[in-house]
Amino acid sequence: MILSWVRFAAAAGFLLLGLLVMIAAAFGVNRFRRALNRMHAAALGDTLGILFVLAGLMVIRGFSMDTLKLFLVIAFFWVASPVSGHMISRLEAMTDEDLGELTVIQKETGRIGPGMGPEREGPGAEKAKALVSERKGGTENESI
Amino acid sequence: MEQAYGILLTGTVIVLGLLVIVSIVRSVLGPTIADRIIAVNMTGTLIISIIAVLSVFLDENYLVDVCLIYAMISFLGVVVLCKVYTGVYLQRKQMRADLRAVEDNLSRQGVTETEEDPGRKDISEEENDGSLMSEEGEK
Repeated sequence: MILSWVRFAAAAGFLLLGLLVMIAAAFGVNRFRRALNRMHAAALGDTLGILFVLAGLMVIRGFSMDTLKLFLVIAFFWVASPVSGHMISRLEAMTDEDLGELTVIQKETGRIGPGMGPEREGPGAEKAKALVSERKGGTENESI
Repeated sequence: MEQAYGILLTGTVIVLGLLVIVSIVRSVLGPTIADRIIAVNMTGTLIISIIAVLSVFLDENYLVDVCLIYAMISFLGVVVLCKVYTGVYLQRKQMRADLRAVEDNLSRQGVTETEEDPGRKDISEEENDGSLMSEEGEK
């Protein structure tokens, strides 16, 4: 009696975690702007999302042939998904014309540095300059 | 207890179905070809998890075999798509490099260009925005 509730709780936990990871992956794919960043978010769903969802299903099924087959699906995904992700990233790196455009924002002064057009002041420039004048420190580059 | 499992699995399938719609929208919107391939791959992954959940919900154990085969075919499809588009891009780049080499040679020798047929659009004058994959992306 208590075992069935424990099984239900474990399966519900795994499935909800898997859903959260999948939602994070789909959200990340839509929010990032560059294809290489989207690849990171999509790989999140391919590995951890599939693991948690199928682990929850394995807990529901118990020890049987279906559990072994679900485990085989997980194993195949974990082997094949990095390969396909690498090929997509190579395609993107080969065909993207402006691959080297980086945005470097200097944290102390708030100026947006080279790589993204002429240097300009960022949105928090005045506040950053006030902070710099308060304390004397060198500029620190923070790349995004 | 059966009802609890039913609600849990139905809710999972509904949420994953909404994520499939979001992925399909991304595959239509995505500006480059790699975005579309990423979205199609992700749609395949979500579909695989939906089929696995349905195999437990409907208590049919042959759907897990369908999962496995679909995973293999989607992986194969992504690999083939990447190879094809890489080949298309490199071939187009080679073709433009050849044309530029010919034009460079002609301009060095001072050959004046003959009048072409005005109705025929030359491949070296076609409008492009500098991206060799944009013509593929609009299809």
